Parts: sequence; C-alpha cells; structure tokens
Amino acid sequence: MPDTDYLIVGSSHAALEAVTAIRMHDHSGSVTLVTRDRHPPYSPTILPYVVSGRAKPERVPLRDSGWFAAQGATFVREDALVGLDPDAFTARLESGAMWRYGKLLLATGARPVVPDIAGLETVPRHVLRTLDDAVALREAIGAARRAVVLGAGLVGMHAAENLVTAGLDVTIVERGAHPLPLYFGATAAAMIGQAFAARGARLLCGRTVASAQGGGDGAVALALDDGETLATDLLVVAAGVVPETGYLAGTDIGLGAAGGILVDAHMRTTRPGIWAAGDVTEGPAFGGGVAVSGILPSAVDQGRIAGMDMAGDRVPPYDGAIPLNTYAAFGRHAVSVGDALAEGDDLDVHEDGDPETGRYRRLVLRDGRLVGATVIGEAIDGGILRQLILRRTDLTPVKDAFLAAPRDTARVLMSRLWR
Amino acid sequence: MTHVATNAPRVIVCDGNQAAAWGVALAKPDVVAVYPITPQSSLVEYVSQFIADGTLTATLMNVEGEHSVLSALQGAMLGGARTYTATSGPGLAFMFEPYMRTPGLRLPMVMSLVTRDGITPQCVWGGQQDAMTVRDVGWIQIYCETVQEVLDTTLMAFRIAEHRDVMLPVNVCHDGNYLSYGVSRLEIPDARQAEAFVGPTDVNWHTALDPARPMAVDPLTGGAGGPGPALFVRYRKSLCAGMEAALRVIKEVHADFADRFGRHHPALVEAYRLDDADRALVTIGSMTGAAKDAVDEARAAGTRVGLLKIKTVRPFPVAAVADALSGVEAIGVIDRAVSFGWNTGPMHQEVLAALARGGRVVPSLGFIGGLAGADITAEHVARAIFDVGRLRDGQAPAGPVWLNETD
Amino acid sequence: MGRSFDTIRFRAEACDACGQCVIACARAKTGTDDTSRARLQILGGGTEGAELALCRQCTDPQCAAVCPSASLAKDPDSGVVTWEAETCVDCLLCTVGCAYGGIASDPVAGHVAKCDLCDGAPECVAACDRGALEHVTASRLYNTQHEREDLFAPGLSACHGCNSELLIRHTMRHIGRETVVAAPPGCIPGMGVVGYNGQTGCKVPVFHPLLTNTAAMLAGLKTQYARAGRDVTMVALAGDGGTVDVGFQSLSGAAARNDPMLFICVDNEGYMNTGMQASGSTSYGSWTSTTPVGEHMQGKSGDAKSLPMLMMMHNGAYVATASTAFLEDYHEKLEKAYATAQHGFAYLHVYAPCPTGWRFPAALTTEVCRRQVETNFVTLWEYTRDGGLRFTRPVEGRRPIGDYVEMIGKYRHLDQTHLDVIQHQVDERVAFLRRFAAPAGG
Repeated sequence: MPDTDYLIVGSSHAALEAVTAIRMHDHSGSVTLVTRDRHPPYSPTILPYVVSGRAKPERVPLRDSGWFAAQGATFVREDALVGLDPDAFTARLESGAMWRYGKLLLATGARPVVPDIAGLETVPRHVLRTLDDAVALREAIGAARRAVVLGAGLVGMHAAENLVTAGLDVTIVERGAHPLPLYFGATAAAMIGQAFAARGARLLCGRTVASAQGGGDGAVALALDDGETLATDLLVVAAGVVPETGYLAGTDIGLGAAGGILVDAHMRTTRPGIWAAGDVTEGPAFGGGVAVSGILPSAVDQGRIAGMDMAGDRVPPYDGAIPLNTYAAFGRHAVSVGDALAEGDDLDVHEDGDPETGRYRRLVLRDGRLVGATVIGEAIDGGILRQLILRRTDLTPVKDAFLAAPRDTARVLMSRLWR
Repeated sequence: MTHVATNAPRVIVCDGNQAAAWGVALAKPDVVAVYPITPQSSLVEYVSQFIADGTLTATLMNVEGEHSVLSALQGAMLGGARTYTATSGPGLAFMFEPYMRTPGLRLPMVMSLVTRDGITPQCVWGGQQDAMTVRDVGWIQIYCETVQEVLDTTLMAFRIAEHRDVMLPVNVCHDGNYLSYGVSRLEIPDARQAEAFVGPTDVNWHTALDPARPMAVDPLTGGAGGPGPALFVRYRKSLCAGMEAALRVIKEVHADFADRFGRHHPALVEAYRLDDADRALVTIGSMTGAAKDAVDEARAAGTRVGLLKIKTVRPFPVAAVADALSGVEAIGVIDRAVSFGWNTGPMHQEVLAALARGGRVVPSLGFIGGLAGADITAEHVARAIFDVGRLRDGQAPAGPVWLNETD
Repeated sequence: MGRSFDTIRFRAEACDACGQCVIACARAKTGTDDTSRARLQILGGGTEGAELALCRQCTDPQCAAVCPSASLAKDPDSGVVTWEAETCVDCLLCTVGCAYGGIASDPVAGHVAKCDLCDGAPECVAACDRGALEHVTASRLYNTQHEREDLFAPGLSACHGCNSELLIRHTMRHIGRETVVAAPPGCIPGMGVVGYNGQTGCKVPVFHPLLTNTAAMLAGLKTQYARAGRDVTMVALAGDGGTVDVGFQSLSGAAARNDPMLFICVDNEGYMNTGMQASGSTSYGSWTSTTPVGEHMQGKSGDAKSLPMLMMMHNGAYVATASTAFLEDYHEKLEKAYATAQHGFAYLHVYAPCPTGWRFPAALTTEVCRRQVETNFVTLWEYTRDGGLRFTRPVEGRRPIGDYVEMIGKYRHLDQTHLDVIQHQVDERVAFLRRFAAPAGG
C-alpha cells in the first residue's frame, strides 16, 4: 500500500496553497496530490473564459510539473477519492488504489447541482465545472443558434454573456427576483440586466422550468412554470453547486446544513488527522456563523491555514470567510465585498447609482465601520475594503471623505496603517 | 637548508650570549621574535645576524616590546612554528601576561632568560631575581653553569619542550654578566647531527589555529557550575603531569645528548664531592665554578664538604636533591635572589622543602650573593663553608648571610 | 524563498505631494500625462502627510494567489511581481487580493496595471527630488550573504538589540572559512563566539587572546602561514578596550609593520561587558559606571580618542569607519579590507551603540546608528595610501547633535552647555578630517 505523510485530494487553489504552506514548515515529509481531473491544476474561475476563448485551455494551468518537482510533491491525476477509513488512515481511489496517509486534506471542491426538473436528466445539457465541460460548451456554441441558461448566478451570467457575444439568441431563466441575487441588490442587478437586454438577451426572472424534453438534432424544449415553452439548441445548467463529498459515505465526518464538510478555524474536520479547505467546506464566516464560502480567495486562505496546521506550523485562527466577488459584464466591472446586501435598522447604508453612466455604489456601515460594499463602474480596491472590514477600522473620523471618494480615502488609511 | 653545516666553525671562543645564539641556529626555529634588553641584547643581535646571513632560515619579527614578542610567538606556534626568543628582567616583567599563559596553552616554546636582578633599585646587572620570581608560572627552568652548557642546553631545551609527554615551554637561564658576557671556548655540534637530535617540528598537534582543523583555542573555562570545575582541574593536573614527566625527559635528553655528542651535563642536579661529605653547599648557575674551587680548597684542608648544583629548578628535582643530601649534617644554600617574605633565598626554601618531604630536618643556612652583578668569589664561598661548619657544630649563625654585604 | 529584492522606499515625511513621480510613471508606462493611469498614486499631502499606493512586490503576493489564470507571479530573479497581459482575463480578482492598492484597473487600457520597477531603474524615484522615494537595493547584500555559510552558531547570547552579532555574522559570512578569528575579552567572546567550557559558537578557528595582544598574536600566526605558503586570513574582532586602551600597543606595532590582518574594532565606547566602565573611546559627557553623574561629576569630562584617525596616521594600508545602519557601505569597505588583509594591515572601526550600557530601547539600535551618522557624531570614511581620506557618506547638512543625544540615556544629564561642547567637538572633528580628504573629483 503506498503511503504518504500528507495526502491532498484536489488540485485547485486550496490544494496548491496547502502544498506551499506545508513546505514552508516541513521540508522532508512526503506530499501527494490526488485529483480526479485529467488536466494539470487549473482554477474553476477560469472556465467561463475558456468558453469565450479568452483563455486557451493549454494556458490555464496554475502550476507545471516543475513546480511539483520543486516542492517534492507527487501528483496523481485521473483518480478520484471514493472512500475513506479515518480509523485506518487510508483513502480508497476509484482505480482501486489504497493510500495510507499521515494527514489528509480534502479539497475536492464542488459539483454542479442538477435541479429537480422532470426530464432534465435525459436531455442534452451542459454544465461548467471542469475544463472538459468548458471545452465541450465552447465547441457546442458553434453549432447552435439558440441557447437557454438555467440560473443567473455568476457562472450562468458569465456563460450567458459568452453566448450573447457569440451571436446566439440567449434566454436566461432565474428563479430569483433578479440576476446575481447572491451578490447584488435589485438596483445593481437591474443595471446588469439592462446590459444584457441591450444586447438582445432575454432575462426571465422569478421563473422556473417545469420540465424538459428532447427534440431532434440535440434540440431541447423547456416548459416554464407559467406555461411558456422555450426551444433551444443549447442548454446550460448553472443552478449552483454543492460540496463534493460523496466519498464520505460510511464515515462520521461532520457535514453542515448546506452539505459542506464542517471545519473549525484551523480547517480541521471533526476527525483528527483530516482537514478540509475550499469549496468543499462549511466553515467559519467572518462576523460569526458557519457558511459555505465557495469563492476563490477563501479557498486560498483556507488552503494555506490547513497546510500550516497540518505541518505543525503555528497559525492564527481563520478570521472567517468574507464574500469577495468581482463580476464583469460587457466590459463593465462590479466588485462586491463583505456583507454588501445587508439590510437593517442598525446599518448605515449609502447607495447611489446612475444608470446613464453605469456607476453604482452601495456602502454599508455599522457603528462607523464598513461591513460591505458594492461598487460598479468605478475604480475601487477591493483588497483594501476587505482589510477595512477585517480590521473593523473605525471610519468615523473620515466618513465624509470615505463616502465621497471611497477608493482614495481607503488608500490613505491603509498606507498609513502599513507604515 | 643546511647553512650551519657549511658556515659553522667547530670550535670558537665566545661569550654565553653567542653560545645561546648558536644553540638556536642549530635548533632551527621557524619564527624568532626579538626585542632587545640588557644583558640579553647581544644574544638577539647574534640571532638576527644569523638570520641575515642565512645561517638560520627563520623568520625574524622585530616587534615593539616583549609583550608582543611572546604574543606573536604564541600565534606562530598555534600555526605550527617552532619558536624562540630571549629576554631579561624588566622585559620578562613586561611580557608576564602572555608569559603566564604559555604553559597553559602547552606551547613548547624555548626562551633564554639572561637573568638580571629586579628593579628597584634600578639596575642593569646580573642576578636571578627575575627568573626566580616567575618559577611557579609553569615554565620549565634550567640554569646553566658554563658557556658550553648554554649552547648545549639551548639545543636540548627544544627537544625537552616538544616531547609529547611534556609540551611545556622552557626557560634556559644563564646569568647576566657572568655568562652573557663571559668568554670561553665553545664546541659547536655538527649541524646535521644537531638537526637529527632535535627532530622534526611538532608543536601544535594538540591545539592549533588552523582552518584545516577548526577549533576554539582557550575559551573560557571554569566557573562554579556545570563542567567547569572538573575541566579546569583536568587542565591543571595535566600541566602537573607534564612537569613530572619532564623530570624523566630532561634526564633522557641529557643522556641522549651525551651519547651523540660526547658531552655529559648533569640533567637535574650535579653532586660534587658529596660522597663522604658531612656538610654541603647548594649552588645554582655560574657561581658553581668558584664554589667548586672553594670546596676543593676546603677538602685539601681536611674539611669534608661537598657541593650540590641545582640545574633544573622547574620541575624541582625533589628526590634527586633529597637523595644527594642524604648524608650531610648541615647545609648552606647560596641564592642569587631573594625571597622577600621568607627573609632568605628561594632555593634555600625549596631545598629544605625537598628534605622535609623525605622526613629530614637538617640544620641549614641561607646565603644571598651576587646580586646586581656583584661577584661571588671563592673567598665568599669559603666563608660560607666555614659558616656551615659552625652550623654543623651547633653554633648556628643567624641567616641570611649577605655575601656581598661588606664588599 | 529566502531571497530578498530591491524595493521602493517611501518616506512620507519628505513627500510634499508634488506629483512629479506620478507624472514620470504615467509617461514611462503609458506615454501620456494621464496621471490616473500611473502605477503609483500619491494621496493626501495635507497636514497629515502624503500617502502612497504602490505595489510592494510582496514575497508571497496575494494578487497572484487569487489569480485564476496564473497571470501574476513573483519573478525569482528580479523579485518583481510580474503581470502577463496575454493570459489575463481581466477578472479583477487580483485587486481584491491586494491590500495595498498596488494593482488596479487602468481605465484606458481596460485591464489591470502595476509597477514593474522599470527594469530596475524606477522612473518615479528618478523624478523625486524631495528624497521621498528611494530605490533600495540592499537586497543584493542579503542575497549574496545568505548564500554564504553563517560561521557562527545560532543563538549567540548578545544583549537584546546589540548590533555586534549582526556585524560579525555579516563579516564572517563574507570572509569565509579560510580564516582565524581572534576575539579578545569583551562582548564578542562574551556572547559565546569563543566559547565556554569546551563548547564554541564559532565554526572557524577562534582564539581568545589577551585583551592586550590580539594584533601581535595574529601577526605571529600570519607569519607562520606565510612561511608555510598558506593563504589564511587573520581577523580580529575586538572591542574598543582591546583596541583603544590596553590593546593599543600591539595594534600600533602591527599597523606600523603593516602586518597582514583585518583588525575590526567594534566600538561601544567602553567596557560594556563588565558593567559599563569608561574606556578611552567613551565620548564626552557619557555616563558610565566609572564616569558617573553626581554633584561633582557630570559624566566623562574628556573627549574620546579617535582610533581610526590614529590608524590613518600609522599609514595603515586600509583604514575605514563603518556603521551597521549603512551595511552596503560596510560591505564595500569589508571587501577592500579583506583584500588588503591578504598582504597588509587593514583596520575597520565599526560603531556599536549599546542599548544596555547606553540606555536606549533595544529596538532603536539601527536608528541610533543612523542618527550618529546623520549628525556627524560618526563620520563614514576610508583611507588608502593612494587615495587618502575619502568620505563615503556626505558630511554636509548634518542634523544638530541634540537629535542624537536625545535618543541616548547616558546623556540624559547633559544641559545645553554640554550639548554646545559636543556640537563643537563634532564640527571640529569633521573640519579636521576634511583636511585629509582628497579634493572633490581628485
């Protein structure tokens, strides 16, 4: 039975950060990465750009083989984790291989949700979670004239933008009241929706698909809940993702309400010797509570913390995940940091927008401290806003300046702090 | 390089300083450091000239004082050099700090001490106050009687010092004025024979400052806790063991010298007409010649007097002294130095101590003479023999007797 | 890991927000005067001082960690965090990762832009005549030094904040193993360099000479290595007591004979290892345990003896002063001193303010060293037989001596009269040294 001091399952941001962190502290322990993917490591975030052609598949790897050699890490591809025996410290792979590990990091990410829609299982459809998915979708665009995207989250909207740009007739079906409901409020979402509408896309919000039926030549007919039928050559299902945890069957490793692997502030699971990081986790959220973060910056932070803790390095506890999102549609950038959608009497919300210029801001403060921000169409340093939130910097002395010119005021504050 | 072989005259007439310089030339040190001081100056002039002429292929360091002389030589020895220097009186006092350190470092250096009386009163003349004052520092001290013995002892000193059982520095002492400037016949050994006798240089096998053998030389050692006390004692005991071994090695080297060169010198002590003596004088250094004459005269007059010359003062030949004096009933010890707190001479004390270790208490009288270049004549010694005779007869004169008090 | 790189240092107190750097950057990087496109931005500039937004070229750049297209990376040679236009997908996640505002969208170009240090010659620094921006290239030192072996054990027991350990580690890393170190009694052996009861903190041959004889002892050792035809460098790491006071005779002799060695005096102005007694190097007015302060004494009443000047007067083959606040300067001198020590006498006088004995916070040692130089209390110069004396740091525009004295507890009792005396001494000393300095350009 092969064995390894550190077994890391997954090969994206969390896994890679963990390797680096382990090697900062432990030069000699054996490190093995196992991934079900057949490609070198890449970021799921890059996939919409592969679809659009902006990113070439051969240019997306985050690390090359030289990096693994330099880290002294073994990289096993195309073999998925299918089972664990936490008592025996063994991991079973799809190929039948059993690995004995000293410490295990689960960084297996998430998989797309297939909504419970009659017939959906049987019709041709695309999802966007792997590089192969992205390449397949890109190839399918060329043969299609009409497209339907189920879900107006980040993945769906990004895919939709690509399809619009490719010249397809695009319809987006979103169950929520407006697109990108997890990231933007109604006003901002409306501005985004207008950008799509201006380019001929249909955005059907507050609607769901009742059933799907296959037609000839790969065409699909979708019946909406209000009786409308959409015929399409290309169906993209972007209804969200759930943590990839099937291999935990039969173990007592704790899962959260949203299906993620429960982790503490050191990314430890409920079983000794097993850590988890990235999209697969359900862990501390900044400000309290537990959440599936599911964003790239959280995966980086969590992977690093997990790696340090696994190697016995001293690591301060995780601050908790802070939502951090960037979104661009048709060249217009939006940045959302922290609890940008928060509503409440205890909040000091400053919102203004100008549909003409496409500028929009929503700055949310509590007790003079920033808790969240959405900024569209103007320059902002999301990283500095994040620091202001994390550090609970008191903005009271500079509040007027901050509200008038958030970027420059925040830069002054941070420059002074770093000195 | 065997310049000595081609240049050396076999027999010359010279003073003790030049004889010492010949001994140095034959021993072939690598580094010689010098600073002049009366009555040593002509010695280092001779050595310097030998180096200038190529008679000796050593590197000459002219440094700015005796303190640096000894310091430079310590450095050179830690790099593997055989070294030599000479000093006297105030020069010895000035170098005392590194002098005190040389035995503990177990550096087998050879240094001529052209003995000089201590200041103050300010004086530039002979006397053994300088050498006697430092006899407990850890250097081997050998005192010469004749010009020939100066050369021969200097040569032997390198072999004694570098013996692996000894590894201690040696002072070859010869009296300022009497030996430094006194002229007599000198036989110079063959250079190749001398080189074979001394052997190859081997001075830093135990402690070195060499990147090829990195070590910390002489870090702090001791203190009241940890390994300090035991470690310090180990070093001290090892030095004592070196001294004890030197008693044997000095005799072996003298015997080997006699075999190779045909000249017999007493190694530790010399007993002269002691076999049937009922009284004895103890002498040291160049005074011994006059004393032997006085003994001969007294013997001719029927007095059963003998003489014991102490050649090696450190290590002190306790057994040899006690053994040589085992038959006498009274002794007189002539010192050329003063032990101030004891109101006598240092050799007097030490001879008494050596006898006492064997359980003997012998009537004794201390004589102090030859201070600051004063003569010790046969007449002075005759008086001493007379006083010892009175002592033997129970008429104890008060000591010490200052031999030159009425000169 | 383990490398250091050049960086741009910002001194906010010197910046008046004139904007020349921003214009220079915009021109260099965009060919326009559109300062909104510059890669550094100066903000504020009012009474609260100016602030800077600029890439820090982080060792562990978060912009790169969160980049999904691997378009940002730390260049292992230059240290610049590079950005690759071809693979960038304009997602702006990098701007969310950076906590400095160091990477931001260029509104005209339509993608992010960041500082690349202009290939090692930053235009912004060249444009700044206020001294607010400095291209710090000390990384070369770190990179060359850290590749070399540290010849002392970790954990030497120097006092908190002592710069001697820094100094001797730098020195011996540079000089290497073919060396013999002599460390006479003082702080340097006291911190474990020579050792204690059979253990040592030094990986090269090391000797604990007498306080008095370091130079002579090394001269003798070198003599033997010269005879043996071996190239071994002699290094003395001595305090001021073993140099200025009782060590002076043997030092003077070695200097006069041009004995090949590198003699380094680490000057902390007294016998700090044994309880802060005064030495010949103790400066005027200093409190020490033997120049105390009381009704009848106000610290040391005489001036310090200047050993570097005396060594210059010995016509030493290479003589220099140095400060650990200016390590590049020190290394340049060390290089020359080391080369000189192969065939002649080299002397380095390095100032070592003592937090314990001088009574200042341990964290301020380097600042104290810097202030010594900025006030001309210490001047940095070198002397060679060919070139004479040359100041290696400017001596014009000194700060008043009070700026230095106020940092040090041992001067706490001094009044304005004393300060005037010290100021006079400092200015007189500089004027004196100037007479030996080669004319400008000569």
